[in-house]
Amino acid sequence: MASRDFPIVGDSLVLGYRFQRYWDDAMARAFFFGELGAGLFLVGALYGSVICMIFGVGITAILKTYFHLSHMGVPARSWRAITRPDRSWISRGAISIVLFTGAALLHILLNGFGLAETLGGGGLVSGIAWLAKVGAMLLALFVMVYHGFAIADSTSISFWNTGLMPVSSLAYSALGGLVLSLNLDPAAAAKGSGYLPPAHNASLLMVVVAAIIVLAMLQGANRGAPGARKSQRLLTREGPYVRWFYGLVLGVGFVVPFLLLALLPASFFVNFLTAVAVLAGYYAFRVLVFKVGLYDPIISFAPES
Amino acid sequence: MARMGMVFDIRRCIGCNACVVACKQENSLPDGVFFTRTLSEEYGVYPNSGRVYIPTLCNHCEDAPCEKVCPSGATYTRADGIVMVDNDKCIGCNSCAVACPYDQRTVLSQELFDKGLFGEGEITPFEQQGYTRFTPGTVTKCDFCSERVDSGLDPACVVTCPTDARIFGDLDDPESKPSKLIREKGGRPPMPEKNTKPKVYYVT
Repeated sequence: MASRDFPIVGDSLVLGYRFQRYWDDAMARAFFFGELGAGLFLVGALYGSVICMIFGVGITAILKTYFHLSHMGVPARSWRAITRPDRSWISRGAISIVLFTGAALLHILLNGFGLAETLGGGGLVSGIAWLAKVGAMLLALFVMVYHGFAIADSTSISFWNTGLMPVSSLAYSALGGLVLSLNLDPAAAAKGSGYLPPAHNASLLMVVVAAIIVLAMLQGANRGAPGARKSQRLLTREGPYVRWFYGLVLGVGFVVPFLLLALLPASFFVNFLTAVAVLAGYYAFRVLVFKVGLYDPIISFAPES
Repeated sequence: MARMGMVFDIRRCIGCNACVVACKQENSLPDGVFFTRTLSEEYGVYPNSGRVYIPTLCNHCEDAPCEKVCPSGATYTRADGIVMVDNDKCIGCNSCAVACPYDQRTVLSQELFDKGLFGEGEITPFEQQGYTRFTPGTVTKCDFCSERVDSGLDPACVVTCPTDARIFGDLDDPESKPSKLIREKGGRPPMPEKNTKPKVYYVT
């Protein structure tokens, strides 16, 4: 017996690497919208933009849920997904989405629309309003990263099994939220807040951060397990996904928004183009990560005689 | 309590796929669904070359990643170590299929049951009696023919194998055939680096 390199074999009955085909484009969309909505909500909460918070919670609660249910084989039983938070990231995620939606709506009502003040702003009301605000922001942060944990939890697919996966989720969702806030509430985004720079500058920074994280993931995969190296090669060197990765994820997703934000003055047109470019690259990243996921050969030793 | 497991003697397997057919019959599996597969691997360079067959099925891992990630508790391990799927609890999220390093899970789409074994929409009496055990949309896998095991029988693939390449038994019993083979021939679990503690071993 000796270790050796194996080919990618698809569904054929020979030994080799196999593509995962269980988490499809619907799941990629569910993850994309879940992260994006939570990121937009958090940005809205930090910048004090009610419209961003409303769109954020709407994207996560409606689009994320819709695509997740459309992926499921038996959607009518989806309530069962909340029964194992002790061990399953899908379960933790389902619970966090429900709690996030509730807390976010309460925060928007009490603080965004000023219902807390209308109700008199007494000790109990202001306490609930504070709890809703902090709870919604913490839950949004959790929703932003849990998708990455759910993917990285899978040791079966070496490329996914990296601590950088949740970090990439966090960076991409924050970036997506920032560039959407530039379009949904340019005034609040331009103003910034006491401890945050204007969204334009923050977006420029996050483009660089997200790009570094994606490149670090590739570098880590290149030095990682054989399956991770194969997946990395599928993104960067061989096969049909290379042009999409370089073109959409790196080119449109990072280079174009960086140039737009760094070189051109802020305007409706620039903000719109930036958001489209970032979201196209972000979505392509989510889809491609699922597409290039590979199972290792079932035995890592091969007979010699 | 027993810890049921299986040993594949790779040098005995001739790639006849009788085990695959027996499994499909025993479990009334729809078209394209396999609980066990026989992979092949060619080695060497002509004229010093050959081919070896590698049977595969669910490894009924002691630390089963499919069970860990299941959000609904549909995947569970019996007292005798057989990893099962409860059709009535499975929500079809496919997390288990993604988490299985051995790619041994199958998603049962509605289409499989609609088109039938002959692909023309006609469901034969054999399929009608067999398909009642499945729920479309859920995920399924090998259960070591648990009904047969409960009755004191070996799994269908084991009794069908003409070369005794599949050996089934209690791995906790040091005198059982699989335990002896693992000990004497140095049985290797598939992908030990995944730390799933499979109860299926390969000997050569």
